[in-house]
Amino acid sequence: MKGTLKVDGKNPEATIRSLFARWLKESKLSAVLAPAYSTAGTATVALVSDPEKLSEAAPLLPAMGVNSASIVAEIAREASPNAKVGLFLRPCELRAVVELMKLKQVAPESLLLIGVDCPGTYKAAGFRNVRGKDADFDNRHVREQSGYAENVNFRTACQMCEYPKPLVFDLNVGFVGMDPDKELWIEAATDKGKALLEGVELDAQDEPQKRKQALEKLSAARKARTAARIEELDKAMMGPEKLVEYFADCLNCHNCMKVCPVCYCRECFFDSDTFQRDIAEHVRVSLRKGATRMPSETLLFHLTRMNHMMASCVQCGICEDSCPVTIGLATLFKKVSQNAQKEFDYVSGRSLDEPLPLVTFRESEFLKIGEG
Amino acid sequence: MANYEPKIVGFLCNWCTYAGADLAGTSRMQYPPNMRPIRVMCSGAVDSVYILRALLEGADGVFMGGCHPGDCHYVSGNYKARRRMVLFNSVMNSLGLDTERVWLRWISAAEGRKFADTVTEMTEHLRKKGPSAFKDKWEV
Repeated sequence: MKGTLKVDGKNPEATIRSLFARWLKESKLSAVLAPAYSTAGTATVALVSDPEKLSEAAPLLPAMGVNSASIVAEIAREASPNAKVGLFLRPCELRAVVELMKLKQVAPESLLLIGVDCPGTYKAAGFRNVRGKDADFDNRHVREQSGYAENVNFRTACQMCEYPKPLVFDLNVGFVGMDPDKELWIEAATDKGKALLEGVELDAQDEPQKRKQALEKLSAARKARTAARIEELDKAMMGPEKLVEYFADCLNCHNCMKVCPVCYCRECFFDSDTFQRDIAEHVRVSLRKGATRMPSETLLFHLTRMNHMMASCVQCGICEDSCPVTIGLATLFKKVSQNAQKEFDYVSGRSLDEPLPLVTFRESEFLKIGEG
Repeated sequence: MANYEPKIVGFLCNWCTYAGADLAGTSRMQYPPNMRPIRVMCSGAVDSVYILRALLEGADGVFMGGCHPGDCHYVSGNYKARRRMVLFNSVMNSLGLDTERVWLRWISAAEGRKFADTVTEMTEHLRKKGPSAFKDKWEV
């Protein structure tokens, strides 16, 4: 089921909010997880259950401080018959949710995946100043971004993102290629999504050509930029010497792991006893090269994390935003994960049916490996 | 480095390659002593972290031995090791790191000769290549 939804009063955000209100009132949803402005004006996320409180939700808020898939993993590890939560998330967040479902970290039964187009976001840190006192900021952003308007202030990962539209969703709200002051593009991909649309007045039609073209144009531009950024990165990072240099500032704080939506272990391997060494052992390791950098095993952490997570990395770049010493992780992970996923013809978050690369195999594949 | 002797860390699967190494020994086959064998239950149990730790701490090479495809004692461990190796190689290539220092080979319990030959081949290969770039890098 798909079609256009009329926007009232040139306010697409309010139009989406009234959809939420309808679903909460009709008890189709018990709560909505959506971006929201805090009282202080910062970008945050809220689980809204009371339709009266809906003014707190800002579904089109263009700033990202967390990848909300992390929140979903926190609250929806198990399903409950008493809750039906609509996740109103961005494409990279939904892709991470899909990976987490496949990793059995998120139970799908109590959730509805409601996506929204996202051509890019600002960092949550400092966003308050970007927005200023503009109450119509979100709508203005959507108006600007409905065509193709590059914004150099977007997060690094957003500037390279080729998925402005969610890949897996029950329902999606689109504005790219539309005139968002007049209408939004609504698309239900599953029965769950169709059930939400019952009673919603849509002008049913095929996806407008203009929208398809706008999405394609955006994807193509982003792919070209990604290629250019990776070329730049290759100059700064390739080889053992430059790799060590690239991570030279790392404090070993592991923030990049903590904020990563797909890094799913409850206890990180690196916090386990495997990595506990007593003082004599540290000295013994140090003797090998005459010195060891402390805290130890900093590069090992990053290389291992890449090996563990690259098959599922959704390239949201939240790791870079959380890095206190601004190591360029977004471009690095974009490159490494793209290459890794290509080996298995896999795209993270593309489909719930594609098995994760490392839990499946075929007998007759990669026959050269192991044969010398 | 005048006195360079390659140091290889070997992860040998209990059911095939470790038994193959045993056979090479009991058959009194000669091969270079450069590999330090570590017995593991399955090639599928060797997480990348152990390969990386050996390399970063200065090993010149890492060897992994498993049962031939189809022969895994746990049915599919070596198939999974193979996929993990593909991912490992991809990550290493993306970072410009040397994949030729990490070898995965299928060696059965009956292949003592193949084991001895493989260790010889790898030792010679690493001797030609020279020491690993991480050998003297203390700040990894």
